[in-house]
Amino acid sequence: MNKITGHYSHAYDDELNEAVDRLIRMGALVGEQLQDAIKAFIKGDRELASQVIQTDRKVNAQEIDIEEHCLDIIARRQPTAIDLRLIVGVLKSINDVERIGDQAEHIAKQLLDEDCQRPTDAQLEDIDMMGDKVLNMLQQALLSFQRMDPALALDVLKQDRLVDHDYGRILRHNLTYMLEDTRQITRGLHLIWVARALERIGDHAQNICEFSIFITKGRNVSHLTEDEVDAVVHDKV
Amino acid sequence: MKTNSTLKMKAENVRVFYGANEAIKGIDMNVYQNEVLAFIGPSGCGKSTFLRCLNRMNDTIDQCRVTGLIELDGQDMYDPRLDVVQLRAQIGMVFQKPNPFPKSIYDNIAYGPKLHGLASKKSELDDIVESSLQKAGLWKEVKDRLDQPGTGLSGGQQQRLCIARTIAVSPEVILMDEPCSALDPIATSIIEELIDELKANYTIVMVTHNMQQAARVSDRTAFFHMGEMIEIGSTTEMFTKPNNKRTEDYITGRYG
Amino acid sequence: MNMNSNNGSVSDNQLIKNKVAASLARRHRQEKLLRGTGLAAVLISLALVSLLFINIFSKGLPAFWQTSITLDIYFDPSVLQISEKPVQRADEHDNAFRQRDLEWRSEVGRINFNRLISTALMDVLPDAEQHRRHVLRMVTSGERFALRDMVINDPSIIGSTQRLHLLTDANIDVWIKGNIDRSLPDHQQQLSPIVRQWADALYANGTIKNRFSFALFMNPDSRSSLASAGLAGAFMGSLFMMLIVMFLAVPLGVAAAIYLEEFAPRNKLTDLIEVNINNLAAVPSIVFGLLGAAVFIGMFNLPMSTPLVGGLVLSLMTLPTVIIATRSSLKAIPPSIRQAALGLGASKMQTIFHHVLPLAIPGILTASILGVAQALGEAAPLLLIGMKSFVATVSVSPMEQSTALPVQIFLWQGNELRNFFEARTSAAIIVLLTLMISLNAVAIWLRKRFEQRW
Repeated sequence: MNKITGHYSHAYDDELNEAVDRLIRMGALVGEQLQDAIKAFIKGDRELASQVIQTDRKVNAQEIDIEEHCLDIIARRQPTAIDLRLIVGVLKSINDVERIGDQAEHIAKQLLDEDCQRPTDAQLEDIDMMGDKVLNMLQQALLSFQRMDPALALDVLKQDRLVDHDYGRILRHNLTYMLEDTRQITRGLHLIWVARALERIGDHAQNICEFSIFITKGRNVSHLTEDEVDAVVHDKV
Repeated sequence: MKTNSTLKMKAENVRVFYGANEAIKGIDMNVYQNEVLAFIGPSGCGKSTFLRCLNRMNDTIDQCRVTGLIELDGQDMYDPRLDVVQLRAQIGMVFQKPNPFPKSIYDNIAYGPKLHGLASKKSELDDIVESSLQKAGLWKEVKDRLDQPGTGLSGGQQQRLCIARTIAVSPEVILMDEPCSALDPIATSIIEELIDELKANYTIVMVTHNMQQAARVSDRTAFFHMGEMIEIGSTTEMFTKPNNKRTEDYITGRYG
Repeated sequence: MNMNSNNGSVSDNQLIKNKVAASLARRHRQEKLLRGTGLAAVLISLALVSLLFINIFSKGLPAFWQTSITLDIYFDPSVLQISEKPVQRADEHDNAFRQRDLEWRSEVGRINFNRLISTALMDVLPDAEQHRRHVLRMVTSGERFALRDMVINDPSIIGSTQRLHLLTDANIDVWIKGNIDRSLPDHQQQLSPIVRQWADALYANGTIKNRFSFALFMNPDSRSSLASAGLAGAFMGSLFMMLIVMFLAVPLGVAAAIYLEEFAPRNKLTDLIEVNINNLAAVPSIVFGLLGAAVFIGMFNLPMSTPLVGGLVLSLMTLPTVIIATRSSLKAIPPSIRQAALGLGASKMQTIFHHVLPLAIPGILTASILGVAQALGEAAPLLLIGMKSFVATVSVSPMEQSTALPVQIFLWQGNELRNFFEARTSAAIIVLLTLMISLNAVAIWLRKRFEQRW
């Protein structure tokens, strides 16, 4: 944990740390939600799924809470330089974290379609593996934010390629099944939607990493190539 | 923010000594036409001292010695053949505490033009007074009481009167030494707005200890520390992503 | 644990409160003591000042009124046998006429005007024939010159009878005002018994009356006719010296102060000058008198006892005061005004003359006037340059011998006719004080007037 220190006003230090802490806590909540959503989908646990959907209200409340905290800091402290970038990073990150929550809710909702056939074990295995990767990305993204560690963030950015690859594979498999057997279409679409949600979650985790790089390096890297980001992170620009 | 690239003033290796004490330790700086350049830094960092070098106000202090080169439009300002009176007409100065003369509003403005023989007739002088007050945004407030003492105005009005008085001698550069430090927030906003308007016709160099003010009004900012200029650059860059650790510590309110 | 520490801080607070309360009582006591002492000091000094004023005014005010005797003087042509007053003829040279006039005046001067006075007195005094030689003691000796001057001014009054108020002898004034113990035996009285009787009788029937004394203001000092001694000579001397101080010390002092404050470089020499000026201000005034005697009279051979030398000495004495006060009023002008002017491109000279000096003028004026007032009240240095000599004429130029108001006070204070001159001295002090207070009032007025120009 890389605490923010050094301001003449210790209260200011505390407020900034509080903003990061709340973001991490919100991220942890969403991480759990995502984990539960994947678990519920794989196990077919409708009870758990409805819990996941319930959690979303908590997440939304936390987002508003953090946003107010940040506005308060801006209004009273007029942050500059790294502090300003931190607050902007937190404000933008909560948006992505909240969207991850929405995607988890979306995954859980796929289970509520009563008529749908259960996917095969092999199909669930694919989702499980992809889910693990995405979950890992989210946790590392939050860690890179917490530690203000641009190298870790860069690492997470690079992992997204694997997730995209998984999504492509699941999409292709299910398209094939659906072409072969039209009865598979509903189940296939559900699976594609879940994979699509996981892929989006990966993108959101990527955004969080980009913000953590923005905070530490002062450069917006969202539209740069991987090599360019690498150069920014290692101060080669 | 867009900055003009015509060089107006240039400082090279400027050092200022008070007796044996070196207050400014070798500063290089360019000032461009029609920009607002703000100096920030902790107290005693030399920002005001350096500002005073720019119109040779330091000449009036005993035991103050300036070395290095300062140019205005390519002309060496410390050339002994140069008339300092003429120079100060080209480079006006507005001070920290509003300091109108204890005379009428009219006489406050008219003093400079009379001194430099800018008006040959009363009507010309009237015109200068009116246009200066217009430019300083004070005309509407005082046009019916030009004969009343300038010291009777409010603090913010007094400071605008001082700005009008400076404008009246048609300077090219206006130096401002913490112009708002004695004013309330509304008067400060009015002056800041005025600085933004004046930028079209004048080059403005200001010292401020209010960093937010530098952020609000300046195109470029220079950070001074212990008699050195640590960093100079666009204000946006300075306040979002300063290059130097000491700059960042200062503007984010950290002890370095 | 938490509770304990809370309790600890509560009892700590109580302890601190008690300590503060204890020290508070002491502080209040000290405050009261200080205030009481200050008030007492002010009251004592007020009491002393009022005592002084009451003393001076009670003694001095009666001296503004002086006894005079109303007589019908017959300008007897048999006594006043003089030729006609000369008139300048058209073809006559000025010098020739002046010569004739002077001869005529001395002819008038040779006449015994006392005869007119004693004739008139014989009419009003009972039993005058038996005490002939005492008759003229009623009127002060100087009055015969007043009659002479009347005749010289207008010879046509010869043959007429004029009702005149003639000043009585100083001793009669003392007698009537009760400034001498009436029960003293005859040999200790200044006046013979018959004169005292006459004075009482005439005072009772209104022939002798207390009248406002113009002599005090119009006449120079006198030793032969004490009742007609006045302040005019001393006043003129003081006036001349005041003018010299005003036109010498003030401009010089202001100029020196401006130079030292604004232009002089800060170095050893100017430091030395500054120390010297400060020390000069503390030099006793009598030393300046010695200096004046040595330099102006000894080296430059200027005439002794004249207001010129007195004025020069007083100027020297006032100079440091003016310089110091002017410098401090220049220092008091806020530097922001100088900066403003310099920033607009005014030269140093313009800054000083356009801005600094006009703002400093009230202070400079006040300092100057107070300096002049101080000089006006100074006696000691004047004694050393001979201004204590008796001068029986009113000087009309600063080159003529003269005395000064404070010196006149000193001289009268030492006069042997104590019971007449004690009051006269206090009257002179009142005149001097009035003059000083007027000067201070002018200083205050000028300050107010110039300060109104912001």
